[in-house]
Amino acid sequence: MPAAGAQWRFDGIGTEWQVDTAEPLGGEMRAQITALVERYDGDWSRFRPGTVVDALRAGPGRHRMPADAGPLIDVYDRLYRLTDGAMSAAVGDGLERLGYDAHYSLVPSGPARPAPIWDENRWDPPFLTTKEPFVLDVGAAGKGYLADQIADIVARDHAEFTIDGSGDLVRKGPAVTVALEHPLDPSLAIGTTELTGALCASAINRRAWGEGLHHLLDARTGIPVHGVLATWVWASDARTADALATALFFAPAERLRSEFDFRYALMTDDQRVHHDADLPAELFT
Amino acid sequence: MKITIRRILAASAAAAALLIAAACGGGSSDTASTATQAAGPTGASATTAASAAAGDGHYKAGTYDVEGHYTNPAGPAKVDVQLTIDSAGTVESVKVTPEPTNPNSRQFQTQFAGGISSVVVGKKIDSLSVSKVAGSSLTGGGFNDAVKQIIGKAKA
Repeated sequence: MPAAGAQWRFDGIGTEWQVDTAEPLGGEMRAQITALVERYDGDWSRFRPGTVVDALRAGPGRHRMPADAGPLIDVYDRLYRLTDGAMSAAVGDGLERLGYDAHYSLVPSGPARPAPIWDENRWDPPFLTTKEPFVLDVGAAGKGYLADQIADIVARDHAEFTIDGSGDLVRKGPAVTVALEHPLDPSLAIGTTELTGALCASAINRRAWGEGLHHLLDARTGIPVHGVLATWVWASDARTADALATALFFAPAERLRSEFDFRYALMTDDQRVHHDADLPAELFT
Repeated sequence: MKITIRRILAASAAAAALLIAAACGGGSSDTASTATQAAGPTGASATTAASAAAGDGHYKAGTYDVEGHYTNPAGPAKVDVQLTIDSAGTVESVKVTPEPTNPNSRQFQTQFAGGISSVVVGKKIDSLSVSKVAGSSLTGGGFNDAVKQIIGKAKA
């Protein structure tokens, strides 16, 4: 880390965050960020009672969604379509049906089942009308979206800063050099990038395993998808980068390009790296 | 499609075999051969039925093998994941062993023909002059939560 500047670390939505700024964040700004993170976790967590996730799980109907739901639902809607239904925010059910049920019996519980059809839901802000209960999991884009919202707060007082949501990054100001972690060995990097904007990664590795269990099920079958080990996506905002980092497990970049502006690299399960020709990075080849 | 989660070594009890039949049939490969790689007491018995001593609230420490046979858009693929959980339910390590020999993986690659394909060489991050690391290995809390919610519930 640079010797100059200030770092502020905190825990939120089950992970560690760090905000780097040239001058320390003011107390009021920290309080705003803390309140945002707490509110966000209370709105979207799958692990806390009383959230909209609970309500959607309990039954179909007309559910009032959190005030910031629009951009999340939008990106899921688009990627559901662009992945032909493979990527869905309703995929939480798939895991439970695999045996990871409310009682965690982990006994053989029968075949995987497709997730409820996401686009049968109707979105009339702020209400999401559902036809059947499902377990909402916005994890594929949720962390990036929170990083964007934190960045919006920090940007009020600071022209240069970095938001680090445990490996998902938002950088404003002059570029900083960032290592691209090797998915199979966190002590190694496969390259470096000069980052401004957002960079998010997804991987079937150590820490992503938990996330992978949530996000990498093919919603059409309830079966985990494989073929890709890790993805990195550069985009102007972290919500987009985060969501596309998951979408690339399900659909080729060329297809996603039809609606999103991004750069990507990914490692397939034979450990070859595929990437844009104009990637803003140096890969160690 | 079949996922086998098998606890191959336990701190104090016989290993439990947890079999999740997911879909599509397919054989369940024997993962016991990986037991020699696992930390813990040697000589643990082979698989038995899951312990019936439910509800003591302790996670079973040990190393679990998770083997997945999957279907991606290009066809079947396979990955082995070895996961070590300590007695607090914290994941100590995860080792992923992809199966690169699957010819379908090469087929899958053709989906990315629009870009460049390279073989990369990992460099020690410590040796690089970087200020940040982009990756998903630093997500401690959420990861542990997820595993506690899922595999950690393989408690006796």
